[in-house]
Amino acid sequence: MSANLLNLSLFGKPEDELIIIERAKKNPAHFAPLYKKYHEAIFRYVYKRVDEEESAYDITSCVFVKAIVNLPRYEYRGIPFSSWLFRIAKSELYQSFRDRKAQRTISIDSIQIGRVLEEFNIDEAEHKREILLKVLPMLKEKPLQLIEMRFFERRSFREIGEILGLTENNAKVKTFRALIKLKELYAKHNPQKS
Amino acid sequence: MTKLLVNRKEPSRNEIANRQDFETVLVNVRKVKSLNSPWFYGAIAFSSLLILTFLIL
Repeated sequence: MSANLLNLSLFGKPEDELIIIERAKKNPAHFAPLYKKYHEAIFRYVYKRVDEEESAYDITSCVFVKAIVNLPRYEYRGIPFSSWLFRIAKSELYQSFRDRKAQRTISIDSIQIGRVLEEFNIDEAEHKREILLKVLPMLKEKPLQLIEMRFFERRSFREIGEILGLTENNAKVKTFRALIKLKELYAKHNPQKS
Repeated sequence: MTKLLVNRKEPSRNEIANRQDFETVLVNVRKVKSLNSPWFYGAIAFSSLLILTFLIL
């Protein structure tokens, strides 16, 4: 495939990426280097939010199909191409939850639990971890996705804003509010009221 | 109901890379594009009209 001949190291710069995007708008086969570059990041984003690995691969594939079909409408306005792809991934995820093709899942590890407790200024005692794990799924979708992106995936406020269509400042404020909501839920379910 | 998975094993970079399938993506792009094409709906409309005319006559 001619697109494969494009040297991947050539598009380290955003302007090189834009050249590939322009080519791919005319011929979808030229999208191959972008697919190679972003497949893993999109897959991991999806995988963390669905319960089955196969569903994550299917949704990832749908994300790229949708991206290529809608590519002629893509215009660079300062927002990285990766954020545009994550926006499509977010919309594909919610579509699959609505269609009941996948179940909304929160994937969390011990380090991430510790990070949230640290944000609460709470030590990592076992029962406190359990309370956090109990209240996390109680959060509504919008605050939950902010907590996931900021504390589990360690994204910058700028990136969160680009993915959710918010300004950097707005993303910061909303994340802070989401943390307060989580803290309230935690306090409500903590019998010791630490 | 949101499901919670703690310390879930993540697929390795190699496992994910092995599942890349750009050819299938391209095939699905062609399918979606042909479904969105005005020719597709035009052809359906034209044949429906033809059948209707035939039935009336």
